[in-house]
Amino acid sequence: MPALVHKTLRDYRRSVIGWLIGISAFLSLYLSIYPSIRNNPEFYQQAALSKYPGPLKDLMGGLADIASGTGYLQTVVYQLLVPLLLIMFAMTLGTRAIAVPEEEGTLELTMTLPIDRRRLVLERWAAFALSLLAVALVTMVLVLALAAVGGLKVPAGNIVAAHAGLFLIALFFGTLALGLGAATGKRALALAVGGGYAVGGYVIETLGKSVDAISWLRWVSPFHYYLDGRPVFQGWPVGDYLVLLGATAVLAMTAMLAFERRDVGV
Amino acid sequence: MTAVVEAEGLTKFYGRRKGLEDLTLQIQPGEVFGYLGPNGAGKTTTIRLLLDVIRPTSGRATVLGADTRDTAVRARIGYLPGELALEGRDRAHDFLNFMADVRGGVSRGRIDELAERLDADLSIRMGQLSKGNKQKVGLIQAFMHEPELLILDEPTSGLDPLVQQEFLTMVREVRTAGRTVLMSSHVLAEVQNVADRVGIVRGGRLVAVEDVAALRERAVRHVEFHFDAPVPTEAFEGLPGVRDVVVTGASLRCTIDGRPDALIKAAAKFTVVHMVSSEPDLEEIFLTYYSEEAPRARVGA
Repeated sequence: MPALVHKTLRDYRRSVIGWLIGISAFLSLYLSIYPSIRNNPEFYQQAALSKYPGPLKDLMGGLADIASGTGYLQTVVYQLLVPLLLIMFAMTLGTRAIAVPEEEGTLELTMTLPIDRRRLVLERWAAFALSLLAVALVTMVLVLALAAVGGLKVPAGNIVAAHAGLFLIALFFGTLALGLGAATGKRALALAVGGGYAVGGYVIETLGKSVDAISWLRWVSPFHYYLDGRPVFQGWPVGDYLVLLGATAVLAMTAMLAFERRDVGV
Repeated sequence: MTAVVEAEGLTKFYGRRKGLEDLTLQIQPGEVFGYLGPNGAGKTTTIRLLLDVIRPTSGRATVLGADTRDTAVRARIGYLPGELALEGRDRAHDFLNFMADVRGGVSRGRIDELAERLDADLSIRMGQLSKGNKQKVGLIQAFMHEPELLILDEPTSGLDPLVQQEFLTMVREVRTAGRTVLMSSHVLAEVQNVADRVGIVRGGRLVAVEDVAALRERAVRHVEFHFDAPVPTEAFEGLPGVRDVVVTGASLRCTIDGRPDALIKAAAKFTVVHMVSSEPDLEEIFLTYYSEEAPRARVGA
């Protein structure tokens, strides 16, 4: 493994462990209460629908079938909160690739190593992607285990497919934050623009289903390619995932080229 | 002989703010070059241009015969940033091992040897290093791979006097080994004892390049003689290069510019019991470059 990837992974280690514990705690808490919902499906379905009226319900992904194992898993894990957490984690790491060390001033010495700039971005990106992959894999195993124990009756293949999507959407936004940081050197800007796009993209995708005025915008929302294929219900939406992956690759290459051109640390 | 550092019309503007204008400079192998100027004069801009951290607005520069864009050449450079930032939970020796891995060419035990010389504690986490220790870690990483060119931006800031002496010894060793040093400072005193030549930058322009030995010869020196009996003032008046002669009884005080020869010969006519000569004050010459626009004609080496 290249020395810079190794060193960057070491730098990210604490952050990875922290987020892993947080997301795992969230998953354990929510998935362990499923048995009580399964035993009282009508009550919880009604409670959920009355708690989130109209558009709020859309924002929560429709809440249909929440008392079934599949519906519950989609709503609680894959719809909003876990993607949100994982995207926050990814964007935090993404800005730590270039923007944060540039603002701290530690990037200057790294730049004077015999590593060319594109490679520097690429190796930082690789360390970010590996860290994210580690969190995704561990949480996936946890979901598989908790789903089995809690009797959610969701095919394991669908959970793997949904979790792959989770990884890809977080990889996309993390790469976006990394790229914005590489292009501008500004952490706050990278988080604001990336975060804005994430929130906006989510709202457009979920509300766009019932609001015709914005439904045409859904195709520019990364969440469209994450949610629309409903992998928890239907398995791998290969085409959609390839779009996310392709967009991520374009962002990573743009980040390399943008960093190649500019003055650093001024 | 190919120059180790060669800049030609090197210019950098940050938007409309001038960082460096039209720098033409050559630094030869085996030379210690002192790069002097007040804060904000363009020293760090020059150094960052040479390391390709920032890109020139116009002009060009080569380092060790290669374009500054050439990444591979950086393994042969040791660099100490002026504002050294070291953060994170890595311990200092882990960080140094990482730098050594990427650059290559660090012999076994070299890091510990340098740490011992500079009295640096490498078991401390990077984010918790004191200012002085941070600077020591910075120096170790700059020196450890025995680079052909050392670029040191304000290297002695934050070091206590003892460590400063050790550092200067290390710079002399580098020169003895035939390697090259470019070191910047805003005070001449820091570099005058090791530098062969000094370049002076002001307001983004190189205003002078001087040979330190020549500078020393031109420098102002305060001298005092004490004789066994009172001496006549006339014996010391009108001597070449001797100014401000004050005779009080058996003692003489004066200022000399350049060589002390005439004064010594005049004093030799009497019985000298004691003599005091201060170190040549290069700072006085140097300050004239800072305070007034030196003629452009002096540029060049």
